[in-house]
Amino acid sequence: MTFSIVTAAMSGLPGLSGLPSSRIRSPPAGRPPGRSGHAVEVSGLTQRFGSVVAVDQLTLTVPYGMFYGIAGPNGAGKTTTLTAVCGLREPTAGTIRIAGHDLRTEREAALSQLGVMMDGLSMPERLTAAEALRYTAGLRGLDDGWRVRAADLLEILGLDTVPRTLIAEFSTGMRKKINLALAMLHRPRVLVLDEPFEAIDPVSARSIELLLKQYVAAGGTVILSSHIMDFIERNCRRVAIVAGGRLLAEGPTAELTAGTTLNDRFVELVGADPVRELDWLA
Amino acid sequence: MTRTLLALKLRLFRNGPHDERAFSLVTGLVLAGGVIAAAVLAAREVIDEGWILLALTGWGAMWLFGPLAQPRPEPSVVSREWLRGLPVRPVRLARALSWPELLGVGPLITGVCLSSLVVLAAPGGAGPVAVAVLAAPAQLHLLVWAGKTVAALAAGLLRTRAGMTLAAVQTAIMLAVSFAGWVPVAAWLLPRLGDGLRLGRAVDVLAVLPTGWGFSAVLAARESDWRGAALPVAGLLIGGAVLRGCWIALTARALRRPPRRASAPGYRRSLPVSDAVVFRELATWSRDPARGVELRSAWLTPVLMGLIVAGSGWWWAVPLAGPAVAVFGAMVAINTYALDGTAIWQLLTTPGAPRADVRGRMAAWGLLFGVPSVALSVVLWAVTGSPLGVAAVGGAVAASAVGCALAPLLAVVMPAVGADARNRVHAVQRAGDPTGGQMTIFPAVLVAAVLPGAVAAAAGGRWWVAALIASGLAAVALTVLPPVTVRLLERRGTGLLDAMQRV
Repeated sequence: MTFSIVTAAMSGLPGLSGLPSSRIRSPPAGRPPGRSGHAVEVSGLTQRFGSVVAVDQLTLTVPYGMFYGIAGPNGAGKTTTLTAVCGLREPTAGTIRIAGHDLRTEREAALSQLGVMMDGLSMPERLTAAEALRYTAGLRGLDDGWRVRAADLLEILGLDTVPRTLIAEFSTGMRKKINLALAMLHRPRVLVLDEPFEAIDPVSARSIELLLKQYVAAGGTVILSSHIMDFIERNCRRVAIVAGGRLLAEGPTAELTAGTTLNDRFVELVGADPVRELDWLA
Repeated sequence: MTRTLLALKLRLFRNGPHDERAFSLVTGLVLAGGVIAAAVLAAREVIDEGWILLALTGWGAMWLFGPLAQPRPEPSVVSREWLRGLPVRPVRLARALSWPELLGVGPLITGVCLSSLVVLAAPGGAGPVAVAVLAAPAQLHLLVWAGKTVAALAAGLLRTRAGMTLAAVQTAIMLAVSFAGWVPVAAWLLPRLGDGLRLGRAVDVLAVLPTGWGFSAVLAARESDWRGAALPVAGLLIGGAVLRGCWIALTARALRRPPRRASAPGYRRSLPVSDAVVFRELATWSRDPARGVELRSAWLTPVLMGLIVAGSGWWWAVPLAGPAVAVFGAMVAINTYALDGTAIWQLLTTPGAPRADVRGRMAAWGLLFGVPSVALSVVLWAVTGSPLGVAAVGGAVAASAVGCALAPLLAVVMPAVGADARNRVHAVQRAGDPTGGQMTIFPAVLVAAVLPGAVAAAAGGRWWVAALIASGLAAVALTVLPPVTVRLLERRGTGLLDAMQRV
């Protein structure tokens, strides 16, 4: 059974036939052999910027094979948390373990399990998508299998239609796609994605969503932040709602949204701006 | 709208940053004070008043050539991207933008400098002073709009690949003249020392140039030649108005033009996977707009220096252009981490990547600057048969090794952070000012270049000593510095990323 069929069966989405699913030959690894525990364990994470506490004693546990969402308003500490999870910022306090490896003491082993896609950062901007994949494969010292995976990712994400365009010239959606391809090329066990659907068109969002579903169906773990409640509710089996750097709620999405939508639950927890009629609009 | 834009510019001044502006203001006022003091001496006939004309010509040249040496991204108060959305006709907007352009350190210090014309006119009485009071702002008007027009033209040109090469040629000419320009002057001057220095007919030539019209008007007024005084002042006013019109037209055209992206690459060569970083570096040096200009200028400057030196008849010094390639190559490679910007996240999240990155950057630098430096020294030595040939080759080897190993280290330690890589599409976009790093690496690589030859000369001309010193320096630099760079990159990388995200 191909992975797209598995994914389609799981999600009930009808539109997967357009993907060359049979070409995803090497599934991402799930739980590493000989390792127990969780894909990501964040314990008592605190991040201060001067007197500002961006993340306050945050504790999260993400099991293997989980599609995990972190939702929160702007400035909630989502990106700060994910930045610390992928080792791009030293936390003020707390520990982070990736596939059982402590990020502080076993940094290289922890990083080797991760694929990272951060919002608003540069990439090798003067390379084309194919060149960036080739460069990334070389940087990681991947074996020859990367060529097939790179070709698949370029095709599935529609990046093979712009073979001579530099990344610096890419639209926001294309930037997200190549960033995801770079993150997935080495078949990481855990994907850390910061706002993967921010400011992109529905077509790009759909191809990214379908690829992530295939990845999770094959045993990979995704931990992502997003403002798009509909996407989180549709795909994430667990969700954490954070605000002001603190965890407001965490659990299976179905339980959190019981009897309501994730959006309503989110607004209920975080609070809404005042709503009143404006006379001058009449 | 003009009043709003003037207020906006004043607010921007108030909000800073102040460091660079304060430095320019103080330096400019000191220089302007020097010109006024010289004018006082000229008015008392202590020195030839031609020196004032020479100073004013130099000042005018700064307005004209300054924008070419240091092109700026925006010829206006605020970002053109923001202004483009305003529901105002581009010509009207450009006209309104022209007035705030007159506010700034440049016009202020030039105005102070041009007040030397009033000092010069003072011995002639009220009439010449009145002419000078009119001529000084008219001269300022012409210089400001000439400078702004050149800047707008340069900004437009630099948006093209040909413009990138042109900018590199201009930079190379300026650097070559700065470093080797003294050679022909020395070759001309040395035999004439003792005869006394006179400006002679040079004053007549400079007075005819637009930069000298204000000066000519004052001199004519002092001799009661009122027609002769009125003509240059009228020329200044008309010329300034025409140039302002040109600036408005260029700015309006830029406001109408949609943002353009970089051209498609032609680089499709396949390289082995193990050379990933070298491949990325070579592609980036050829495609990044900021690096592209620097690469070209680092190659061209030593060649032009060699031509200047050869033209002066000092053939024995020509092979030294080889080590100069390494010196300039090191100077232009001083800011590569900041130029690559927040892309550093990929190195920091990939196990073993910092080491591969540092080695790859060094290897690419060696290919682009180290090999050409040594090869040029050898070829020029063979062609000229210079007695300094061995010193030049030894200097090239030592300077290449030191430059190759030191440039990535200083790029980590002293990054000049500017616009992030993803936001820089044209050479005109601000990429950080690496002057501090350049001033640090320049003496280090220069010493490495000079040391083999100097020690060999001190050892009684035994040239094997030069080879020994060069090899030793190269071995030490290539062994000691790279591990330090890797460790610093691993330790400071997240801080560097943080700093680049804040810009």
